[in-house]
Amino acid sequence: MKENRACSTDMPIVTVENVTVRFPIGRTRTLTAVDSVTLSVRRGETFGLIGESGSGKSTLGRAVVCLQKPAEGNISHEGQDPYSMRPADLRRHRRQYQIIFQDPAAALDPRMTIIKSVREPLDAVGEGSVAERDALALEMMERAGLGPGFAKLYPHQLSGGQKQRACIARVLTLRPSLIVCDEAVAALDVSIQAEILNLLADLQHEFGLTYLFITHNIGVVEHISDTIAVMYLGQIIEIAPAEQLSQNYRHPYTEALLSAEPVALPSHLRPDRRIILEGELPSPMEPPSGCRFRTRCRYATTRCAAEMPALREIAPRHHAACHYAETFRDGQSPRAV
Amino acid sequence: MTSTFDRPASSFLSWIRSDLRAALCFGYLVLLVLLSAAAPLITHYSPIEQTMDFLAPPGADHWLGTDDLGRDVFARVVYGTPMSLYASFLAVGVGLVIGLPFGMLAGYCGGWFDAVVSRMIDTLLSFPGIVLAVAVTGALGIGLTNAMIAVGIVFAPNIARLIRIQTIVVKNELYVEAAHSFGMPVWSIILRHIVPNAIQPIIVQVTLMLAGALLAEASLSFLGLGVQPPWPSWGQMLARGYTYMEIAPAQMYVPGLAILLTALAYNGLGESLRSRLDPTRLGRG
Amino acid sequence: MPVLRFLFWRAMQVIPVIFMATLAIFGLVQLVPGDPAATIAGEYATAENIEAIRQSLGLDRPAWEQYGTWLWNAVHGDLSNSLLTGLPVLDEVMRQLPSTLLIAVLALVIAILVGVPLGILAATRANSMLDRVVTGIASLGVAVPNFWLGMILVSIFAVGFGWFPTTGARPLTTDFWGALQHAVLPAATLATGGIAEITRQLRSSLIEVLQSQYVRTLRAKGLSPALILWKHGLRNASLTLLTVVGLVFNHTLGATVATEAVFAIPGAGSMIVNAAINKDFPIVQGAVFVLVMIVIAMNLIIDLLYTVLDPRVKKD
Repeated sequence: MKENRACSTDMPIVTVENVTVRFPIGRTRTLTAVDSVTLSVRRGETFGLIGESGSGKSTLGRAVVCLQKPAEGNISHEGQDPYSMRPADLRRHRRQYQIIFQDPAAALDPRMTIIKSVREPLDAVGEGSVAERDALALEMMERAGLGPGFAKLYPHQLSGGQKQRACIARVLTLRPSLIVCDEAVAALDVSIQAEILNLLADLQHEFGLTYLFITHNIGVVEHISDTIAVMYLGQIIEIAPAEQLSQNYRHPYTEALLSAEPVALPSHLRPDRRIILEGELPSPMEPPSGCRFRTRCRYATTRCAAEMPALREIAPRHHAACHYAETFRDGQSPRAV
Repeated sequence: MTSTFDRPASSFLSWIRSDLRAALCFGYLVLLVLLSAAAPLITHYSPIEQTMDFLAPPGADHWLGTDDLGRDVFARVVYGTPMSLYASFLAVGVGLVIGLPFGMLAGYCGGWFDAVVSRMIDTLLSFPGIVLAVAVTGALGIGLTNAMIAVGIVFAPNIARLIRIQTIVVKNELYVEAAHSFGMPVWSIILRHIVPNAIQPIIVQVTLMLAGALLAEASLSFLGLGVQPPWPSWGQMLARGYTYMEIAPAQMYVPGLAILLTALAYNGLGESLRSRLDPTRLGRG
Repeated sequence: MPVLRFLFWRAMQVIPVIFMATLAIFGLVQLVPGDPAATIAGEYATAENIEAIRQSLGLDRPAWEQYGTWLWNAVHGDLSNSLLTGLPVLDEVMRQLPSTLLIAVLALVIAILVGVPLGILAATRANSMLDRVVTGIASLGVAVPNFWLGMILVSIFAVGFGWFPTTGARPLTTDFWGALQHAVLPAATLATGGIAEITRQLRSSLIEVLQSQYVRTLRAKGLSPALILWKHGLRNASLTLLTVVGLVFNHTLGATVATEAVFAIPGAGSMIVNAAINKDFPIVQGAVFVLVMIVIAMNLIIDLLYTVLDPRVKKD
């Protein structure tokens, strides 16, 4: 029985060190989707990764499961570097590091029945007889909330939520160590979202899973994560244990994200003023100089345009990338530290 | 709504019942197959036996008359049927065997291999079709099988091009990425995902190519490069009949009609298949 | 100027294609099963005959050397000599090519002159009875064996009405009207496939444009249908038309082979056929070489025209 609480003595299940991912655009330009990101995920925890679209969070998630090779930096899985493995070894190794995509309809082959899709990871290595694999697949479907009646159906006959359950079942057959949930509930109806999130939480207990949970919805991630990292335009701008982040955030962007979370309280009881982010998200291909958030930051100064703030430790296990991280919450003009 | 490949037998029947054109075309082709198999039962005349009764007009004895060597025209048409069917399927078969692997690998691998194969495809497509077929047949040696192999070679670039594009599209689908993440080997991904999903337009194209192959065989036999005398082929019969067209027009019209109808049947089947396999009908939810 | 640079680059891309085409043409001889020299020498040849032929054709030298020599000669206009007549291949081909080109070009012109109006007609009256008839005829046009149609045309118009000669061809330069007269029936036969293709493609691309949001907005604004058709419909469809014309030319050039047989025209097509039957490989290679060069040139021209006309293609 695996431990299901974050354990700090083991080697982290995933370590990301200064990883940069670039995409060529046309023949001359490059988009740096992920810019020198460092983080580590401990076994058994739920690591939340938030950001707007264009922040690079999905790209980072895919790099972690070897679907996107970093241009620079290292990714290691419990000390091993998957990108330097031989193809045959990598194929075996990567089964422990799985991903659930945002669009379950696109993630399922429309011409395969559900049982065949769920069974596919087992078919890939061909262990056991087909009957044994079928049995295991059905068992995982059950765990994911799909009865055996779904086995012979085709994806287009299932609802969005049911399709996502099939994808979850499929991944479970591998008993992976880590599952990256890349906006796994974003495309579903709100009522279904809660169901799937609960399912994911139950499965974490039952199977001792570790999650890298990628989303743009801070409300979701706040409640389920142990650690949260906030990304903006390819960089991590703050990273901290979940309670620390919500109570003691240290970056203006995090402040804005948190304040935007819908709270079911009348306005005079709401804790903070609502902060509306002004301006538009800059183009990821031409990020602003210095601190990338400065064009939308209420506290920006000339130093912010001149010098990019480093991600530095503000408190134990709490890092933020802002020149005024210690002081901006005092409500007055920021003072240089 | 169920997909076309759910329960193959019953959906096929429902297709035939719902689409008149498909039913007619398919029925006609089945008739041809039966004709080929049962030829000796349908006519007691031999297609190659010469008699002294030259160029007889159609009558009770010889339903379509006789040709310039006294052979029964109807028998020759009937015995020419299996030749035509064999020819069309052989040519398309060769085209698929050569075109599919190259196109799929080019689409899947990309890079320099794709560039080279694409150039090869462009090159072969610069050769006017029949001209290439004639040249290759000349090199291989004239005869029906060689001629149809040549036609298959002419078809291969088109097939390769088509499957290449489809492969590129499917290769980028999310479920293929998912398969990669499970550690599935490349050949398995190709067989399980790429082939079934990329093959759809090819199926339609195949029926159209059957028509093309038929016409090609007719042309080549007409030119003397295909089926060699004394065995009949519709194209060859047209060649002979042409010289006597003023005296015995039946010889010219019947084989021509046979070719036309069969080509139409192949084409009609293709058109019906195309609308049937249209992805918007599958109703992905 | 970026346009010129793009055109130049596009023209350069043809070179590997030409190179591979020559490779393929040269490779034809390699396809011959068994010993090419023996095949060429024929059934009654002696061992010395075969050896002599092998030497004279250079078949005893390594393949790449043969290819190199052949290519070198070809570039200099020497396509070797016919095995049957001993005459230079290039001369023979050039002698017979004009007849082929005449009917091919004429067929293309007829196909455009008939196909375009038909396509427009069918598109503007989409799904009407007229449209169905036109589409039906087009489908027929693709399925009809060319030479059969030719034969029927001959029996009706040449033999029956006597309007046109039945067979043969006249050189364009010496007897213009005679040449045309001889070319009409063959060209008409050839044109059927082209008419069918052009009608179908033009119809479907015009329908797509005419039923687009953009055009419907214009209609709602009150622009006359004729003006819409002319300005927007045809301009957008003209690019598709250009591509189709290229394809049709390619097919037509190939289809002349059978048509020439029907009408007994001594053109490049029948030359290839006879050479193939008689195993006169130099003629086959030489004639195919010339035809392929023509097709490649035509495709290049169409490609360049396409880039000039389509503003989107110039970027990147």
